[in-house]
Amino acid sequence: MLKLLKIDLQKLANYRAFWVLNIMYGVLIISIPVVVLEFMKWLKEKGADFNNFDPMKIPVLHFPDIWQNITYVYTFLKIFLAIVVIISISNEFSYKTIRQNIIDGFSRMDFIKSKMSTILLLSLGSALLVFITGLLTGLIYTPDLEMGNVFDGSEFVLAYFLDLFCYLTLAFLLTVLLKRSALTVFMLLLFSPIERTIAAFFPANLKFITEYFPIHAINNLIAFPLSRYWFQEIQDYVSLSAVGVVLIYIVIFVYAIYYKLKSSDL
Amino acid sequence: MNTVLEINNLTKKYGRITAVNNLSLSIERGSVFGILGPNGSGKTTTLGILLDVINKTSGEFSWFGQPPTKEVRKRIGAILETPIFYPYLNAVKNLEIVAEIKGVPKSNIDISLQKVDLFERRFDNFKTYSLGMRQRLSIASALLCDPEVMILDEPTNGLDPQGIAEIRGLIQQIAKDGKTIILASHLLDEVQKVCSHFCVLKRGKLLHVGTVDEVTKGAELVEVMANNPALLEQALQQFKGVKNISKEEDKFIVTLSEGQSAADLNQFLFDQKLVATHLLTQRKSLEKQFLEVLAQSDHA
Repeated sequence: MLKLLKIDLQKLANYRAFWVLNIMYGVLIISIPVVVLEFMKWLKEKGADFNNFDPMKIPVLHFPDIWQNITYVYTFLKIFLAIVVIISISNEFSYKTIRQNIIDGFSRMDFIKSKMSTILLLSLGSALLVFITGLLTGLIYTPDLEMGNVFDGSEFVLAYFLDLFCYLTLAFLLTVLLKRSALTVFMLLLFSPIERTIAAFFPANLKFITEYFPIHAINNLIAFPLSRYWFQEIQDYVSLSAVGVVLIYIVIFVYAIYYKLKSSDL
Repeated sequence: MNTVLEINNLTKKYGRITAVNNLSLSIERGSVFGILGPNGSGKTTTLGILLDVINKTSGEFSWFGQPPTKEVRKRIGAILETPIFYPYLNAVKNLEIVAEIKGVPKSNIDISLQKVDLFERRFDNFKTYSLGMRQRLSIASALLCDPEVMILDEPTNGLDPQGIAEIRGLIQQIAKDGKTIILASHLLDEVQKVCSHFCVLKRGKLLHVGTVDEVTKGAELVEVMANNPALLEQALQQFKGVKNISKEEDKFIVTLSEGQSAADLNQFLFDQKLVATHLLTQRKSLEKQFLEVLAQSDHA
């Protein structure tokens, strides 16, 4: 497996778009908390009127809120990594190198494992970056720091990892089906609107099914957290059933990729 | 274990089109086997199936007497159609990926690149290579694992005459090392020059299989000219080794009987105090044979 990862990284190491997109993604992850705080400081300096409430006191980036808040926001950035995955796989089809890989001695499963291990590495690396960013930001900005609170809610980083891993696997599947990178990125962006449109046609008593549509299921991992600041109740935990559904989707996606590659002439 | 490849009743259908039709073939170790056929005759499809990039419809094949697996493919060096590499990587990086997949040491890379004379350009990106260099890099890639079998599909396609000569020289040299080579081509002359065995495919059907020698040996045809055609004609008619004489303007085309060669004819003319101004042995060509086979299949 490590050997297969190494092969895939050799393909990507000299590919400029791979680094550009990864670095952009990393910079965005690190900069978002900084930007949010600067913005809140700016609000304060401008004397924004929150009924004499200091905006710096909103615990957006305080433990334990920070974990769910930042992971929720970061899931909007995953398209950057999805583009990395889509380019890496569509290149194999447009250069026909997938064909040569197999001629040289890969099995189709080796090809899938090789790409999946890169996806795993991207998801793990990005979850680690999010964890470190969250930890540092929380440590710096939480006013009444109690060590016991620090890792409360950090399970959202795991949820973030799963969210990313499943989404990138979906990107892999779409690329295998559509082959062309621009088309695949477009379809991936349209996936959620299409899901919603289909869901709108479901009768009320079957509405629960739409909860299990792929993107919806992925989004169920990290619920929208910010409404707690206007005193609404939120789901502030990672639901195990959401995790289960996403795991099942990952298996389905990988199997679909395998089936598609197995049955097609390359 | 002398059979490298055994194919039994292999068939590939694309919808209503049959690209490979009930093909059976076996290839011996050490032979240079040419697969001839017009464009679209199923050469590449057959090789694609043998290398597991195309799914067969029915039939069987085995490499080295074993069922085809990825481990078997690691012992084969193959290029299908055009050279395929990562355009943004240089030759060394591209071959590192191949070496990694095949599980062969990286030290083979420089040796392979030297063999195809690409060593000087090894750190240039693949996309900067000319077509000839690309073809040579694919041969280097195929040589990387010191393969027991090399599969080359139209290796001189699109090359200029110099490039063609280079690649041919390379193939002949590899064949000399005792490797089994399977060469698909629509260029008859190419197959005649490098192959020991050949088969002819048309619309996925096997029309002929045999050795190249079989086709090219037999009675020799010799073209002769002299300053005095009338005297020459008389002399030729007296020569015992003649089977048939035909005349094309001032040129005589002589079919010699078995065992006679142009040298014998020349000696005879010399003894008759005649000096040939033109003496050319026409080799019987595969081209003729090929066209005959194709023509027969049209009548059948």
